[in-house]
Amino acid sequence: MKSLRWTAVAGIALTGILATACGVPGAGGTTVASDLAGGPVTQRVTAEDVKAMGDTKLRVLADAGEENTLKALVPLYEKKYPNVKVEVATKGFDDLMKTVVNSMSGSDAPDLAQGNQGYGTDGPLVKAGLIRPLDDVMRTYGWENTFTEGALKQYRWSPDGSIFGSGSLYGISPATEYVGVFYNTDKLAKLGIAPPQTYAEFTAALDRVKAAGEQPIMLGNAEKYPASQVIGLVQGQNVPSRDVRSWISGVPGTTVADPGTVDAARTVQDWAAQGYFGPGYNGISSDDAVAKFGAGEGAFLVAGSWNAPSLQENMNGKVGFTLPARADGTRATVGSLGLGWHIGAKTKKLPAAVAFLDLLMSDEFAQTIADVGRTPVTGAGKVKAGSPVVEQVNTIGLKLLVDDGQNFYLDWASTTMYDTIGAKTQDLLAKHTSPSGFAKALQDDREAFAAKQRADRKAAS
Amino acid sequence: MSGLRAWSARQYWPAFFYLLPAAVFYTLFVLRPLGQTAWVSLFTWDGITEGRWVGADNYSALLDDGRIPSAIAHSLVFVVFYAVFPVALGLFLAALMSRIRVRGLSFFRAVLFLPQILATVVVAVSWRWIYDIDGPLNAGLRAVGLGSLARAWLGDYDTALPAVGIVGTWVMYGLCMVLFLAGVQKIPTELYESARLDGCGPIREFFTVTLPALRGEIAIALVLTITYALRNFDLVWNTTAGGPGTSTTVPSVFVYQGAFLTHEVGSAAAISVCLTAVVLVVTGVIMRLVRGKEG
Repeated sequence: MKSLRWTAVAGIALTGILATACGVPGAGGTTVASDLAGGPVTQRVTAEDVKAMGDTKLRVLADAGEENTLKALVPLYEKKYPNVKVEVATKGFDDLMKTVVNSMSGSDAPDLAQGNQGYGTDGPLVKAGLIRPLDDVMRTYGWENTFTEGALKQYRWSPDGSIFGSGSLYGISPATEYVGVFYNTDKLAKLGIAPPQTYAEFTAALDRVKAAGEQPIMLGNAEKYPASQVIGLVQGQNVPSRDVRSWISGVPGTTVADPGTVDAARTVQDWAAQGYFGPGYNGISSDDAVAKFGAGEGAFLVAGSWNAPSLQENMNGKVGFTLPARADGTRATVGSLGLGWHIGAKTKKLPAAVAFLDLLMSDEFAQTIADVGRTPVTGAGKVKAGSPVVEQVNTIGLKLLVDDGQNFYLDWASTTMYDTIGAKTQDLLAKHTSPSGFAKALQDDREAFAAKQRADRKAAS
Repeated sequence: MSGLRAWSARQYWPAFFYLLPAAVFYTLFVLRPLGQTAWVSLFTWDGITEGRWVGADNYSALLDDGRIPSAIAHSLVFVVFYAVFPVALGLFLAALMSRIRVRGLSFFRAVLFLPQILATVVVAVSWRWIYDIDGPLNAGLRAVGLGSLARAWLGDYDTALPAVGIVGTWVMYGLCMVLFLAGVQKIPTELYESARLDGCGPIREFFTVTLPALRGEIAIALVLTITYALRNFDLVWNTTAGGPGTSTTVPSVFVYQGAFLTHEVGSAAAISVCLTAVVLVVTGVIMRLVRGKEG
């Protein structure tokens, strides 16, 4: 009896399976656009071009961090192009990363969307042909004069999305962001330490803070990535930017298991062992670390430049910002331009979308970007910051671009690197792995990714 | 064949129409996705572009994946914390509550059941605060002079796994207790009386009367809690995200990463198919063992 009942259940299950097993997943869902959406852009889009579209809607998908920028931009845009209504949807960063590829592949994809540089998000967008190359727009609007070629590389891809760092430009952003060192001005003054300008001064300052019985660096590493930014900061001292970026973009024959990176890992491991990060950093979230630093814990905070406005407010201006220079006076650190803005490959509103990017990237809008607390690359250096610490952030940020010292983020190097680097950084700090073991794990991850890409290409051809 | 005929003759066929609506929904929203997952697991697929047939490659790759054995080991530890402890605790509380007349029993019952109805993210965030380096747990330890034990419980390689496990125990014991209390109330009081007449103490009484009578409830509780332990994802993800290092990773973390972060939908599907199979086998064995032949 029982076996019969099971046969019946199995039969139902099998029918269910057969009902669905009807084709290759993803087949026919997306076709790679072979033509440029809307044709090539050869001259600047004028108000008349946009007007010719009639009453229409421009749909924009953006990161929540972009909200204040867009709140200022959209009214300006709608005033300039009254026939276009801009419809903005924002999502938190994690959420956006998980959904943007699917949103862009849907039948009613937004006209403009933000991705993220590297193999995790922009790679799949390019590979699936979901976003439009912007070389023509770049040339028409002269973006290559605003940005150094080294910085633009982060938006460049081979047409099949398998290699980044060269090829067509697929995205753009007017802002720059990077990891630097915040310091508590009161604390440094009390200890008689001048704000460090060079790396040697920075490490000397750490030792002095420690000797005075205070915690040198506030760190919250529960999310696993913040400590890897500390390693990146030190790596910037040891390894030429070009080498770091070549490795991230997957140039064959490059390795991250080089002496400079291993040394950076060892330095940060030593700092952890000597108690420079205080206790329990692996159990403190990065937001909590910023809050604790704001409340006066720790002399330094290694964190993203984007924290400047909130720290300025929380610490009543008792905060400064620096990026230790290398021995030759140049600077390099973990950093990139903002999340790239992409035009959807299926958009039917190209003039409106290009006009949107034009306004966003214009020098006249740069001051507004600075006013919401970000660092614009646009604005020809004439932008005024709202507070001294933001001023420091902006000045150093532009200098960093001139030095061509944006090292990008190591986790762009493969789809799994974010996870690998996070876990391995925690292992490194807890001495569960050695500095060379740490570097080797990163290298192994990228090599496994490269092997998978090769297998994919072989299977596709 | 004659068996089938006899079986079919004994059926009251219109009864199947009553099953139909549920069966349709079940097929549509459970069996169909299940079948789809199994099908996708045979492809290399990034979730967007056309997938590529690889047969069982995703499964054989799992065997070579060094991350899987430790993830399974963590899952087994979670089975102890999410299933064994809550069932033991639930039995103890049920035995206690059934013997002693407590004033406002239903109030205590509701309070003890509360963890079960809270959203997991709320639970995770609260416990993250409890375990925080400056949180109440460490404050308590320092207050009683055990400050040397204070640590970031979720950020420490030695304590993260049991720390997450204890959260699971806290979430699940209420469910077990309520199940067992309901079961205890069905036990005829005559059984207890005769046990007492035979001179049983409370412990003996528990083992000879209560425990055997709760067999069915224990089976249900074990199935629910072990399933929860094996597919556990939300608690781990929201407390430690698998860290520090990889000390709290579980197979479901890889399913999530594959499906949403690294765009390896095929291999993520393969892991979830294996996970489903393991859950089915384990629960099947438990039903057999605990419920015996009547199952």
